[in-house]
Amino acid sequence: MKISDLLKLAFRNLMRRKARTALTIIGVVIGTISIVVMVSIGIGVNRSFDEMIMQSGSMTIIRVQKYGAIYDEDGNYVDSKEQVLDDSVVELIKGVEHVKAVSPVVNKYVRLTSGKYESGVTLYAMDCDVFEAFEFPPLQYGTYPTKENPSTIVLSPESMEYFYCFSGNNYQEKSIDPLTEKVTMQFQEYQTHPRKKEFKLDFENVAMMEQTDNWEYSYNIYMDLNYFREIWKKYANSLTLEDRKRALSSTESYEEIKINVDNINNVAEVQDAIEALGYATYSEMQYLEPLKETSNMLQMVLGAIGSIAMIVSAINIANTMVMSIYERTKEIGVMKVLGCLVRDIKRQFLLEAGLIGLLGGVVGILISYVLSYLINKYGAGIMGSLVGTGTSGDLSVIPLWLPFAAAAFGMLVGVLSGYFPARRATKIRAIEAMRTEG
Amino acid sequence: MDKEPEKIIELVNVKKIYRMGNEKIYAVDDVSFDIKKGEFCCLLGTSGSGKSTLLNLMAGIEKVTSGTILIKGKQIPKMSENSLARFRQRYLGFVFQSYNLLNSMTALENVEFPLVFKRVPLKKRKRLAKEMLVKVGLGRRLHHKPKEMSGGQQQRVGIARAFVAKPEIVFADEPTGNLDSKTTIEVMELIRQMARDNNQTIVMVTHDRSLATYADKVIHILDGKIQSIEEPAAENLPEETKAVECATEEIMGEEATQTTEEVKKEVTEKFVKEMKCPEPVQTFPEKGKVAVRVVKKTKQFHVPVQRNGKGKQ
Ligand SMILES: Nc1ncnc2c1ncn2[C@@H]1O[C@H](COP(=O)(O)OP(=O)(O)OP(=O)(O)O)[C@@H](O)[C@H]1O
Ligand SMILES: [Mg+2]
Repeated sequence: MKISDLLKLAFRNLMRRKARTALTIIGVVIGTISIVVMVSIGIGVNRSFDEMIMQSGSMTIIRVQKYGAIYDEDGNYVDSKEQVLDDSVVELIKGVEHVKAVSPVVNKYVRLTSGKYESGVTLYAMDCDVFEAFEFPPLQYGTYPTKENPSTIVLSPESMEYFYCFSGNNYQEKSIDPLTEKVTMQFQEYQTHPRKKEFKLDFENVAMMEQTDNWEYSYNIYMDLNYFREIWKKYANSLTLEDRKRALSSTESYEEIKINVDNINNVAEVQDAIEALGYATYSEMQYLEPLKETSNMLQMVLGAIGSIAMIVSAINIANTMVMSIYERTKEIGVMKVLGCLVRDIKRQFLLEAGLIGLLGGVVGILISYVLSYLINKYGAGIMGSLVGTGTSGDLSVIPLWLPFAAAAFGMLVGVLSGYFPARRATKIRAIEAMRTEG
Repeated sequence: MDKEPEKIIELVNVKKIYRMGNEKIYAVDDVSFDIKKGEFCCLLGTSGSGKSTLLNLMAGIEKVTSGTILIKGKQIPKMSENSLARFRQRYLGFVFQSYNLLNSMTALENVEFPLVFKRVPLKKRKRLAKEMLVKVGLGRRLHHKPKEMSGGQQQRVGIARAFVAKPEIVFADEPTGNLDSKTTIEVMELIRQMARDNNQTIVMVTHDRSLATYADKVIHILDGKIQSIEEPAAENLPEETKAVECATEEIMGEEATQTTEEVKKEVTEKFVKEMKCPEPVQTFPEKGKVAVRVVKKTKQFHVPVQRNGKGKQ
């Protein structure tokens, strides 16, 4: 038989039992809706979650800090210990597998002044060779420091925002443009020698990072480590004798060693390896891992709920087809005697089941879009607080592939659940079929 | 020229045994016979004698227990289900005792159905089905569903369906079993007419002795066995055949542009008047030929005649 004839016949047979066909289709519609809506919510939640991750800094960064936290087996904070972080530790960590870049980090709280305005920021000094490996954001202007030209100070956008000034009772705030306004930096840790000039560094070479979601690169300023050592020495020279010694020895060990791991999936492994070397570590990932698991779990649960409805509708289709074959036993026998190929009988039943699946799938998708719209409009607040992602993104996201996948899935469910009934139809022997009434 | 028509159906030692527990039922018990092309064969016997079983065996609907069945030289019992289906599409038609029309379809669609399996294009098969229904006198019932027709009308739809694909062989299982005597005659005439028009072989099952008069060959069956085969004697067959050949050749030779109708008229005149042939002559077109058949009593034979004109196809 030709496909067009098979299709016509399948349609006709479905129309013969309109109520039953409609009910079966409604089953598929419900199945499709539950899958599409559930998956769309899963995707929506995951997306909000990913946004959240983006905002909480690079996920591949591990820190080894001077004051490492000690946790018990359940992950509760117990105590902290001081660990000596020097170049030997840096070398040690470089040898760990999956480590993309390692840099010691010195951070100093510094005071910035510009005219009568001042502000305080944290200065991070890191090896300028690894800036790129740590995924420093692109620059609005200027260039990152290099070994040849190490004196550039890299500013993050918000580090220049909150300069303030007290004049009497008047508090004023303004943002400074380091290109046109003079900015001076001062360290604050130690006492300046009474007979010496206070150490000040005027910003000359500056670069400005672009605004990103990553908070790490939003508030701080950055500098090459060697250049930092240079100016720190100058600073130390301006101090009292006692403080000079302390200041110089303080830079022999670092506040922090920062590690970038090649892949987000290897963070835990690298962290374990460093812990095994005897150093306490910290990463954002460590806190997000359980959250991520919760989110994945949620997606699976939602998917499972959707699938159950779809399985029920598949059984429903199979039932309809079996019923239909019972009713049409005699007809099948007659068709065989008239010369209908077994293949065509099978195809006809598969097509009927597939049509039910496809129709249900298409209608289900259309309703799903409406539901998704309503959920995003009215349900976001309720569900958002339930799930715990306080983001403004859509709760239910239907990506372009989902309707096609759902329609194909609906049809597949139809064909699969029609397969065994169809095979059964072909097994009917013409002679027995013709003896049955009907 | 081939005087003896070819054997189209051949049965040799065919047995069908049903097992009911320990009991064996010999529904068909060692049956052998053959049927020639164009023959009208009647399987006659009482209820339960195994006629339907025999017919079903021939059509491949039922599997034989032993023996061979050859149709057009093909071993029916050895065919796969698929090739059997194709074989049925091409060569076999079936008229059922209980009509077996599809209730959801109109008369036209029912008749069209075998052509759908054969992948005949929509327009062509609609036309063929319509022509066939007109032929069986249901030109005004094309769009009626089976439930909206009388038994006789339904059976005529069934006949139209069996003949629409112009199969070489038509099996009919008690085609008149549910009909009154007047309708029975109508239906039987119809079958005989159509079979003759297309030189088709008919195998008909009946328990009605009076219907045997339509047949060229009557096979009496009792308890699964052949009791006797009755074949009305062919009197003076060779001479008559020759006469027909002469007559037709004469006519055809003269006028090559004649239509089939004109040939028929002339042949009829010649036979009925000059040769005192008791029954009318029938002509029918066959690929590039016009064949003429003379009917005498229940005996028939046909002679193909070469013709180079374009007959009314
Ligand atoms: N499937 C079957 N199982 C067992 N026995 C069967 C089966 N089909 C037919 N028979 C037996 O075979 C015999 C012949 O049956 P069949 O139907 O051929 O008879 P029939 O000549 O067509 O009779 P009727 O004129 O009543 O239709 C019967 O005795 C019947 O009981
Ligand atoms: Mg019978």
